[in-house]
Amino acid sequence: METYFLPLDKFVPLLLRLIEKYEVFIPTIEQERPHFHRFSSEDTSTISFEHIRTVEPVKHFLFKPIESVASFDKPLEKGIKPQAIVGIKRCDLKAIEVYDKVFLDSEFVDPFYKKRRETTILISADCPQPEPTCFCNLLGLNPWVDEGADLNVTPVRSGYVIEPLSPKGEAIIEENKIWFENTSPEDLEQREASRKKALDKLKEINPDRFKEDLYERVNVNEQKFCLSEASGCVECCGCLMCCPTCYCFLLYDEPSNERVRIWDACYYAAYARVGGGANPMPDFTSRFKNRFECKFNYFYKYHGFFACTGCGRCISGCMGKIDIRKILLKL
Amino acid sequence: MTIINPYESLPCRLTEIVEESPGIKTFTISPKPINFEAGQFAELTVPGVGEAPFTPSSSPFDNDKLEFTIMKVGRVTTALFNLKPGDLVGIRGPYGKRYPLEKFRGKEVFIVGGGVGFAPLRSLFLALVHNINDYKKIYIRYGARSPKDIVYKQFLPKWDKLENVDILLTVDVGDETWNGRVGVVTVILDEIPVDFNNSVAIVCGPPIMMKFVTKRLLEAGFSGADLYLSMERNMSCGLGQCNHCRVGELYVCKDGPVLTWSQIKHVREPFV
Ligand SMILES: Cc1cc2nc3c(=O)[nH]c(=O)nc-3n(C[C@H](O)[C@H](O)[C@H](O)COP(=O)(O)OP(=O)(O)OC[C@H]3O[C@@H](n4cnc5c(N)ncnc54)[C@H](O)[C@@H]3O)c2cc1C
Ligand code: SF4
Ligand code: SF4
Ligand code: SF4
Ligand code: FES
Repeated sequence: METYFLPLDKFVPLLLRLIEKYEVFIPTIEQERPHFHRFSSEDTSTISFEHIRTVEPVKHFLFKPIESVASFDKPLEKGIKPQAIVGIKRCDLKAIEVYDKVFLDSEFVDPFYKKRRETTILISADCPQPEPTCFCNLLGLNPWVDEGADLNVTPVRSGYVIEPLSPKGEAIIEENKIWFENTSPEDLEQREASRKKALDKLKEINPDRFKEDLYERVNVNEQKFCLSEASGCVECCGCLMCCPTCYCFLLYDEPSNERVRIWDACYYAAYARVGGGANPMPDFTSRFKNRFECKFNYFYKYHGFFACTGCGRCISGCMGKIDIRKILLKL
Repeated sequence: MTIINPYESLPCRLTEIVEESPGIKTFTISPKPINFEAGQFAELTVPGVGEAPFTPSSSPFDNDKLEFTIMKVGRVTTALFNLKPGDLVGIRGPYGKRYPLEKFRGKEVFIVGGGVGFAPLRSLFLALVHNINDYKKIYIRYGARSPKDIVYKQFLPKWDKLENVDILLTVDVGDETWNGRVGVVTVILDEIPVDFNNSVAIVCGPPIMMKFVTKRLLEAGFSGADLYLSMERNMSCGLGQCNHCRVGELYVCKDGPVLTWSQIKHVREPFV
């Protein structure tokens, strides 16, 4: 696809144009880690494209941690605002594919997810510096974006190489044509070099590959892998809450008759409890294993790809120092 | 454009509540708020309390009303038991797959129920009876804890009189009124008078009963593909999205709630 060059000092003006129509979120560094931050016209924070994915998973933007989804006796008021997510990485775009399968490619389309998805602009960015927790390459992804977003950004020496990846992305360029220039061969060479360097780095971080039949192996090795690797786990569910592909939820009704949907997680002991108290996943081992079966077997059987993107959030977030890669490589 | 919201329940009214046995009541909703086919289920809401999944016990061919036979076990069912005729409830559904009745045609249908598990089987039975000549014979084998725990007492004698219907009951513990069989449901499965090459079995009941009956029916000669089992799992959405109802890679709410033994035999503990 065609590429454009955007000078360094034109990115903020572009964001200012975007906030006329969208709530704009940009990655900035807080406490040394990248976090999404709501951009405003008074903003002085620096946008950070160089880092890896943000601490928080992108599911926040499309599937709220807690929200009203129905009301028994009155119509539900829902103000869903258009939003632009800037700096989203390849792994998180893959996570959106997982969500699309569950909430759009279904007999029952989720109206809230659909609305948000349709009104959200995704402006992605390459990852020039993968970190030790990153393993997208083991799951067939590259640390840069050539599909799944509306626009992609690659920082180069004096600005950004911008590549539209959808009609929505093309429209943004068209509307702000004055700032965009043609890319020079040098810009594109720099983009190539930066991408190659990132991929080499990932190969260095993750020298071993998962086995071809990984999806069967999570079943075959019944309890073995759980027992040896799960011992540090304190069942905090952090790895599931921060996982961009985990989508379990629970519905409950408030005395006010509002129906609320809240994120849930399969490591909670009462997750699978049935009426009267019986529980198909009573012991922690079965729950620990469920996460692997769900992502690498069940989802794969239903949809043809893994519900894990290699983003490494579960690794950086785990107080038990559990590294999902080690478990998967052992299988 | 109206957005269809799958989380929304349709308000409807309870018109009758009948006590079947201690702890089990049949709730009638009319006019009939939703259609369903035998095997499918719905989520019932007690306003301001919550939802739970239930399979209708009335005939899918009854156009006037919907009935649910429900055992009081916890939060939502207790709130349901406190409702009176005239009260509002909510419903959404139907969800899940129906029984493939076309595959039962010309065959003997062997139905085994335990406790409140007879509720969904009543709906199936009434659907079969609606076209009774399509099936070679219908058997019902039903076990309850004691004579007073037997549900549908008023219907059983009538059903037993139907040609081509053969009913046997047992209770775990008898009393002075009881002169039938005594023992857990497998005691009436010693003899299974069907042609295993041309019959299907359908089972619904508490987990322990599901486990032993499944074992017995497989030993007797039913094939895994002809053994239809009602699965109970925790359910939240009913839409195949929240993940709570998983049995292996299958969703009870979407691929079930009735699954064949062939579909679930690889699962470590399918009955809980
Ligand atoms: C397809 C299907 C059809 C069914 N059909 C029938 C039927 O026809 N008749 C019938 O009687 N029953 C039927 N059941 C069973 C019925 O759904 C349950 O009995 C009912 O859900 C119990 O709800 P409750 O709130 O009363 O029970 P509870 O035991 O209070 O609660 C069960 C639910 O609440 C949650 N819960 C309760 N306590 C806790 C806690 N401390 N922490 C976390 N979670 C908790 C559980 O996770 C579960 O979701 C069916 C079930 C299924 C799946
Ligand atoms: S984050 Fe670590 S400790 Fe917490 S539940 Fe996950 S594996 Fe266990
Ligand atoms: S399981 Fe871990 S690495 Fe995989 S998507 Fe979830 S948080 Fe990322
Ligand atoms: S896992 Fe890959 S795509 Fe995700 S942040 Fe790391 S390098 Fe970037
Ligand atoms: S009940 Fe939610 S997926 Fe089945």
